[in-house]
Amino acid sequence: MSPIDAYLHTVIMEAATEARRQGSATIEAQHLLLAVAAQEGTAPQRVLASAGLDYQAVLAALDREFDHSLSAVGVSRAAFNLPRPSMPSKRPPDIGATGKLALERAFASAPRKKDLRPAHVLLGILQAEVGTVPRALALAGVDRADLLNRVRDAIAGDGVE
Amino acid sequence: MSASEIPVPQDPADALAAVVALRRLADQLEDAAVEQAMRAGWSWPQVAEALGVTRQAVHRKHAKRLIAAGVKLRRRSP
Repeated sequence: MSPIDAYLHTVIMEAATEARRQGSATIEAQHLLLAVAAQEGTAPQRVLASAGLDYQAVLAALDREFDHSLSAVGVSRAAFNLPRPSMPSKRPPDIGATGKLALERAFASAPRKKDLRPAHVLLGILQAEVGTVPRALALAGVDRADLLNRVRDAIAGDGVE
Repeated sequence: MSASEIPVPQDPADALAAVVALRRLADQLEDAAVEQAMRAGWSWPQVAEALGVTRQAVHRKHAKRLIAAGVKLRRRSP
């Protein structure tokens, strides 16, 4: 398995775990972002960290977006006091609509398949202009355009032939 | 509360995001509520009728998870 295939495999498997942990039947862009932020020692993880987005910060930003969006219709999670449900079954979640879009954009952003780098995956996730991820980043005070530039710089500096 | 009293966010992005967040919250609430009911001895047909879905739908969605969690499931309705 090539390094990029190994990276994609790891990120998608870990995104599936994030999806299950959050009770989601599908892998969405935010689950991919969490998985990318968790891959220590990779270029996209370093770019995220340089913008203050380590794994915990991404998790906190997504939580904040959830509460913020609920509050827009007068709903508070704190009002629900049911016991936490058991971890969902091991059935692997399917890739969801926003997860698919992020991966399609990642592949489309590399000139050729052999030019694909881990940072392209982050590039694909960050290209979404609407939805949970850009809202979470905005609420966390992250400049998405600046972050996109940093990712592009990282790809350019990675010696793509 | 009537439908007209539900606050509708002015920004379409906020309104659409609220739909996503409410669906996610409803899914989480369903997981917790079904588990709570089954632990309390409810049957699948009772849970399904209370949720307004078919017995097959509720079973397909929750049975594996509850069995994995060690919840003792009633096989038949009373």
